[in-house]
Amino acid sequence: MARSDASVAVALPRPLLSRRARTLLTGYLYLVPVAACLGGTIVFPILKAMHMSLYNHVLFKPQEYGFVGLGNYRRLLRDETFWLTLWNSFVWVFGSVSLQFVGGFAAALLLHQSFRGRPFVRTVTLLPWIVPGVVVALVWEWLYQPNYGVINDVLLRLGWLRERVAWLSDPGLAMPAVIATNVWRGVPFFAVMLLAGLQAIPDELYEAARVDGARVIQRFRHITLPLLRPIIIVATATRIIWTFNYADLIFVMTSGGPANATQITSTYTLVTAYTNLDFGYAATLSVVLLVIMLVFTILYLRVTRGIESVT
Amino acid sequence: MSRRHDDRLARILGGPVLWAGLAALTLFALGPFVWVFLTSLKTRADLYATPLRYLPAAVTSANYVDAWTSRLTPFSRFFANSLLVSSVTMVATTCVSILAGYALARFRFAGRNALLLIFLATQMFPAVLLIAPLLSQWYALGLIDTYQALIYSNFSFTVPFTVWMLVGYFDAIPRDLEESALIDGCGRFGALCRVVLPLAAPGIAATAIFAFVTSWSELLFAITFTTRTEMRTLSAGLLFMVGQYEIQWGQLSAGVMISTVPVAILFTYLQRHLIRGLSAGALKG
Repeated sequence: MARSDASVAVALPRPLLSRRARTLLTGYLYLVPVAACLGGTIVFPILKAMHMSLYNHVLFKPQEYGFVGLGNYRRLLRDETFWLTLWNSFVWVFGSVSLQFVGGFAAALLLHQSFRGRPFVRTVTLLPWIVPGVVVALVWEWLYQPNYGVINDVLLRLGWLRERVAWLSDPGLAMPAVIATNVWRGVPFFAVMLLAGLQAIPDELYEAARVDGARVIQRFRHITLPLLRPIIIVATATRIIWTFNYADLIFVMTSGGPANATQITSTYTLVTAYTNLDFGYAATLSVVLLVIMLVFTILYLRVTRGIESVT
Repeated sequence: MSRRHDDRLARILGGPVLWAGLAALTLFALGPFVWVFLTSLKTRADLYATPLRYLPAAVTSANYVDAWTSRLTPFSRFFANSLLVSSVTMVATTCVSILAGYALARFRFAGRNALLLIFLATQMFPAVLLIAPLLSQWYALGLIDTYQALIYSNFSFTVPFTVWMLVGYFDAIPRDLEESALIDGCGRFGALCRVVLPLAAPGIAATAIFAFVTSWSELLFAITFTTRTEMRTLSAGLLFMVGQYEIQWGQLSAGVMISTVPVAILFTYLQRHLIRGLSAGALKG
């Protein structure tokens, strides 16, 4: 009906595409560069890894190259080192994240107080987190150095050690040593996240509780902890995944040694590709890592659903 | 009674405990860096003295000069490589992500939510997963020992993070402003450049710096996709130095300081954006 008077006006030439279609097209057009970037560096490599995992492909043994079907996966099931790395990963993640959390929480509570020089201490606290991973690894290698390292020296002077310890080449001490380093690196992350959470809690709540006679410890238990819960969950879940993936520290400090004592699944994948140049098997490990990550990510999304908006 | 007891507890917690805690925290965070800094200033005699000498008897800059000019591990070259790779990664990532972030924030199309989820999930991906396929890919393309391979590989972790951050920044800008620009005859791209970008500039700058810093710190791609000394970045160069016949701890400490200082300076500028950046996966270590 509205069209009835349209005959008076001169009809505009109808555009080739409707307005809606053009808008959509523009939207997709803006995504082309990102597709090119991630297609070549994530999507295609992952597909390629799946393909490579079906071949025997060791770079310096080209004569043995060939299709082996699921052979690499059968090898994986029988590979004791692989199962060991899963256990090591668990120890590494659990040890690192739990201690990082405790240290980070303590640091956040300290930094939440008002005192002179707070900006300085805040910035300093962040340092271990923001410097390159290789720097952290080398700094600690130097601290752990048996003859000239400061850790042995201090412990000897305090009388806690009788003789010098080779922290990173002792199978029993290497894992605790790399975990300690990772704790040092990760404390700032929890400190910053939890500090943000603390600052978001309104002061009035504490005031009201004080008026009602709640003591320091009660206020902490009944106000601070429950209100921090969402951010604690998000931060911890994130950390667990990143720590599981994190290869730099261990790779630089011990390369997974001594005798695979610190070999976690991600460093094992790295060493297989980089040191052994066994591409077929490294790709198999990558696919397995991918599956583990997918499970982690789904769990992560379930756990953090609805919490994300808080951060 | 209990009230007074509680007040005393609060006073102790706020007084001695606080100060002791802060001292411990500062020592914990800063101690190892101070030690490496002192090491970088020591002469060989001081470095390998028994018993250990904590402070250098004579301060020397020789370690820095040696590291910077060394033929075997030329830190000047590593520094230049890192600067080049990180800068190009930063600029390219930012351009690509502005377009993608804007599209995801403004256009409603099928699969938008799935895409956003994929960008989030990619934050969880380990770089080691990509090492084997990327290495064989760069071999096949003859890109080993090129800047292109490093820069392109870096996109795998900078781009998802940057897009994720920028979608948030763009979402926060009211649409009305663009609508009026569109009515005034701006195209979509014009509206993006003239209205949205200036408003989002601080966030974009912070995100770009994050991308720079993560590329600067990147290690695994840098050691895997380069073989020649003159192609090493700082991270790879440091590791390469350890692989030498005997570790020169003095020079190595100088190298560590050289790689750390730029990052530390950039991050002090980022304080305000830190929480968002960290929770989105700026630094995953």
